[in-house]
Amino acid sequence: MNAAPKALASFEVGQRASIAFAVTAEEMAAFAALSGDYNPLHSDAAFAAARGFAGRVVYGALLVAKLSRLIGMELPGRDALWTGLDIQFAAPLLVGEEAVLEAVVAQVSPATKSMVLRVSLKRDDRVLARGKATVSMRDGG
Amino acid sequence: MDAPSIYQKLTPVFQEVFDDVNLIAGPTLSAKDVPEWDSLNHIRLVVSIESEFKIKFTIGEITAMKNVGDLVALIQKKI
Repeated sequence: MNAAPKALASFEVGQRASIAFAVTAEEMAAFAALSGDYNPLHSDAAFAAARGFAGRVVYGALLVAKLSRLIGMELPGRDALWTGLDIQFAAPLLVGEEAVLEAVVAQVSPATKSMVLRVSLKRDDRVLARGKATVSMRDGG
Repeated sequence: MDAPSIYQKLTPVFQEVFDDVNLIAGPTLSAKDVPEWDSLNHIRLVVSIESEFKIKFTIGEITAMKNVGDLVALIQKKI
């Protein structure tokens, strides 16, 4: 499932990868059990509606979990060691809404065997979240 | 760019990486002076400096640096 390892030098600024997804009710329930966060904003549509949201709001950390998949499985993939994240959530993603999470290589640092990724989450053309992730490359040798 | 200008530009980078608004990038400053200067923050620091000055270091250059004075001398060579 995971791609073959790639050397840091094979990555270029501007290189990108993305995943499209819609968070399901099952994923929300699993994340609630995993995290212990049963805040009704995420589990009760009526509660969310009373606060101005058209549906249940996806956990921000669940979206970060999707980013973990993107970094660990796609860009840069197997030899990634995620060392930093700075992210801002501008607007909510609701359960069942289609979204695209994208990472773009913004900087490659051979001296530190690391790279900086600009990440964004979009629903249609609207940016819901954006941030910066720092990833080191660690091979098993 | 002269050395004082580089130090001036480095200070906010150090303050951001080490989350310390009082930290000043002076020539004798080194990892032993900053408790938060661990290996991961060292990577963050180098990556931030490379981005700020639009330069790239080599592994040898990074390991040879003993203090911020060495760092500034190296930056001067590269810009």
